[in-house]
Amino acid sequence: MDNRILIEARSITKTFPGVLALDSVDLELRAGETHILLGENGAGKSTLMKILSGAYAPDAGEVYIDGQKVEVFDPRVAQRMGVSIIYQDFNLIPYMNVAQNIFLGRFPMKYGLIDHKKMHADAAALLSSLNMFVDTHTLIVDLSTAQQQMVEVAKALSIKSKILIMDEPTASLSERETEQLFATIHQLNAKGIGIIYISHRLQEIQEVGDRVTVLRDGQWVGQKAINEATVDDLVGMMVGHSVASMFTRDRQPRGAECLRVENLCKGKRLHDISISLHSGEVVGLAGLVGSGRTDLARAIFGVDPYDSGHIYLFGTAIRDLCASDMVDQGISLIPEDRKNQGLALILPVAENIVVSSLDRLFPRLFVSKTKENAIAMNYVEQLRIATPSTSRLAQYLSGGNQQKVVLAKWLCTKARIFIFDEPTRGVDVGAKAEIHGFMNELVKEGAAILMISSELPEVIGMSDRIYVMREGRIAAEIPHTEATQERIIESAMGADEVRKNRMQAETMRSKE
Amino acid sequence: MKPHASSFLIRVPSAAWVILIMMIVFTAINPRYLTLDNIVNIVLQNAVLLILALGATVVILSEGIDLSLGSVLTLSGVTCAYVMESMMDSGSPNAVAMVAGVGVGLLTGALMGIITGALVSLGKLPSFIASLGMMGVGGALSLVLAKSTAIYIRNPLFSFFGERLDKSIDLPLMQYLSVPAFIAIVVFAVVWVMLYHTPFGRYIIAIGGNESGARLSGINTVYWKWMVYVVAAVLAAISGITLAARLEAADSIVGVGWEFDAIAATILGGTSFAKGKGGIAGTVLGVLVIGVLRNGLNVIGVQSLWQPALTGTIIILAIVFEIILSRWKEGRRWAWKN
Repeated sequence: MDNRILIEARSITKTFPGVLALDSVDLELRAGETHILLGENGAGKSTLMKILSGAYAPDAGEVYIDGQKVEVFDPRVAQRMGVSIIYQDFNLIPYMNVAQNIFLGRFPMKYGLIDHKKMHADAAALLSSLNMFVDTHTLIVDLSTAQQQMVEVAKALSIKSKILIMDEPTASLSERETEQLFATIHQLNAKGIGIIYISHRLQEIQEVGDRVTVLRDGQWVGQKAINEATVDDLVGMMVGHSVASMFTRDRQPRGAECLRVENLCKGKRLHDISISLHSGEVVGLAGLVGSGRTDLARAIFGVDPYDSGHIYLFGTAIRDLCASDMVDQGISLIPEDRKNQGLALILPVAENIVVSSLDRLFPRLFVSKTKENAIAMNYVEQLRIATPSTSRLAQYLSGGNQQKVVLAKWLCTKARIFIFDEPTRGVDVGAKAEIHGFMNELVKEGAAILMISSELPEVIGMSDRIYVMREGRIAAEIPHTEATQERIIESAMGADEVRKNRMQAETMRSKE
Repeated sequence: MKPHASSFLIRVPSAAWVILIMMIVFTAINPRYLTLDNIVNIVLQNAVLLILALGATVVILSEGIDLSLGSVLTLSGVTCAYVMESMMDSGSPNAVAMVAGVGVGLLTGALMGIITGALVSLGKLPSFIASLGMMGVGGALSLVLAKSTAIYIRNPLFSFFGERLDKSIDLPLMQYLSVPAFIAIVVFAVVWVMLYHTPFGRYIIAIGGNESGARLSGINTVYWKWMVYVVAAVLAAISGITLAARLEAADSIVGVGWEFDAIAATILGGTSFAKGKGGIAGTVLGVLVIGVLRNGLNVIGVQSLWQPALTGTIIILAIVFEIILSRWKEGRRWAWKN
C-alpha cells in the first residue's frame, strides 16, 4: 500500500500575546497511519491542530498537504484539500437529523429542492460502511456520544477527507464504545486515510497508534514509533527534566482542620471524593483537564449540587448552602475563567473589589463612593494592582492585575478558605511570582488554600500536600517531600495502572 | 481620566443628534413647532412614558425583558380607578378614596411584578416568555374590571396629579410646569439613587454584566433578579396611575403597545441587551426621541393613521445609525459574508 506523506508541517511557530504557543514544531502524517499527538495541557497540541485545519495561520513555517503548500489558512480551504477535524464537543446541529447533519451545506439537489431520498440513501450507505446502523431520520440529540462521533466521521468521509484530526475522541466514551472506535480507526487506516489522534491516555495509544509525536511547552520533543516507546519514555518526554521549582514557600506546621469533604459523589463527574484542608497549608489539586477538579471546587463552593457525601466547615456539617451562604461562611473561589466568572469586566476596579462585601460594608442601604474607593485603594496598594485609578474598568487591566482584583474581592470579604482554580493561568511571570507571594502570606496568617493547577512546577513548589484526580476520583495523595512531576503525571494519567497490569501479565507468564 | 464619562459621551450623542435633527426639520416645516408651549406639551405627554421606560431600562440592564409593563400600566390604572370610584359611590370623602385607590393601584403593580419575577428567577423561565404570559393576564383582567370600556374618574383631588401647575398655583412661570413631569423627575431621582448608590443597583448591573460571575461572587442572584421585576412593575403602576389622573379616566386598553415604546426608548438611549451596558440617563433621551417625533408629526400635520409607520421607521433608522457609528469606531466595515 502506498504510504505517501499526506500532511507535513515544517517548523511551525505561533505566538499569542504573551505566550509562545508553538516553537518550530514539525509533524508528518502518512497515508494509512494513525499518528498520536501527545503532551500535557498547554503543550500546544490544540494550537497545532487548529493550524493544520486552517483555523489559525502560523507566524512562521509551512504546511504541505499532499505535497502542495498551503497558502491561505482557512477552514474551508483546508477542508477542500482533504482535512477534517472532529472536536471533542462535536460540531453537529442537535435538532437536525443524521442525514441533514452529514450533508449540511452540500445537500443533494433535484429541481431546485433538496433531494431527501438521495440524501438519506447516501447517508445510510456511508454509515453502514462504518458499521453503524441507525435510522438516518434520527435527531442528533437522540444519539449517544459514540454515535454522534460516528456521524462526524461519516461527515468527514462524505467530503472525501484523506486526513482526519481527532481531539481526544475517547474522552466521553465507554470501554466498549472505545473498542468500536478503534476498530473504525483501523478500518479507515486500511482505506489509506491518515489520522492525527490527540490523547492524554497512555493506555490506549499503544492500541491505536503507529507513531507518536510529543510536545512540551510548545516545543517539539521527539517522535517515535509506538512499538519502540515505553510508558516511561513517553512520561519522561512529556515532563522534561529542566524545570526547577520557581517559588520557595515558608513551610510551617499546619493548624486546625477547616474543611473536610467525605465521600462526595456527583453523577459521572465525582466519585467518592474525600479530602481535608487545614489552616496554614496549601493543598494542591492536580489532574488532567476534565478529571473533575473544577467540579469538585464548584461543589464545595455551593455553586453546583452534589448527590451524596458530606462537607464539614470548621467542624460543622453543612448541606444545601448556596454560594452566597458560603461567602458568609468565609469561603472564596477564584475561578479559572476570571473574565467570565471572576469579574464584571464592564465595571470599575473599585466596584469589582467591594461587590461581595456590599452588605457588610454598607448595612445602611446607601453605598458611599468615598468609602468604597478608599477601601479599594487600600487593596490596590496592598496587592500592587497596576491601575491608574480605582475607577478604571476591569476589562482594561492585564491578566495578572485582573487576577489580583479577584483576589482583592475575596480579601475584602475576610475569607479564611481560598479555592484557587488555575491561579496563574495567562498571567505574566512577574505577576505570577507576586500571586505566589500573596498565597504564601495568606497561609502564614492562618488561611487555608486549595489550589487547582495544571502546572506541575507550581503544584510542587506551592503545595504542602497534593491530591491527584483522575476520572472523577482521588487517584493519589502525595506529601510535597515526595512529589515529583513523574509521580503526579503517572497518577493523573493512570500510567501506574498500565505498569501494574503489565507486571501482573508478566508474573502470570513467568508462572506458566 | 474618567472612563464612565467617556463612555457616556460616546453613547449619548447619537440620540441627542437625532433629537436635534428632528427639531430642525419640524421647525423648518412648521415654525409653530418651536414654541415654549409646545415643548411643555412634549414634556407633559411623555412624563408617563419616561416612568415606564425607567422600569424597562432596569430590567434590560439585568439582561432580561419585561413585555408585561404596558399591561401592568393599564391594570394598575383600572384597579386604582375602580376602588376610588366604588368608594366615592359609597360616600367616602375624596381624600380617603384617593389614598385607597392609589394604594391599591401600586399594590396591583407590585403583585404583578412579584409573579413575573418569581417565574423568571425561581421558575427559571425565560423573561420573554414569563412576561408575555403576564401581559395577556394583565390585559384580560383590565378588560374584565373596566367592562371593556373606561372608568371615568370624578375626583378633583386625584386629577391634580395629571395637571399643569398653573391650574392650581397662581404664580408666574407655573404654566410651564406640570405635576406628571414633577412626578417623573422625582421617580428618576429615586431610580438613579437606587441604581447607582445602593448595593441593589450594583447587583442589577453585575447580574446583567455577568450573571455567573455575580453568582460566583456570592451574590444571591435569584433574589435580586426577582426584585428587578417588582421594581419595574411598581414603576409601571406609578405611570399607570399618573396617566389615569391626566386623562381623568382609566381606559381598559390604554397601555397596549406602551411596553414597546418603553423598550424602544431604552434601546435608543444606548442601553444594550447584552452585558448590562447603558443607563437611565440615556433613557431620558430615548423617551425624548419618541416624544419629539410623535409631537412633531402632529404639528406638521401627518395623518394619524400614518404615524406608527413613520415612528417605527425613524426608530429603526436611529438604531441603524447607532450601529453604523459604533462599527465605524471599531474600524469594521459592512460585509455580506461573516
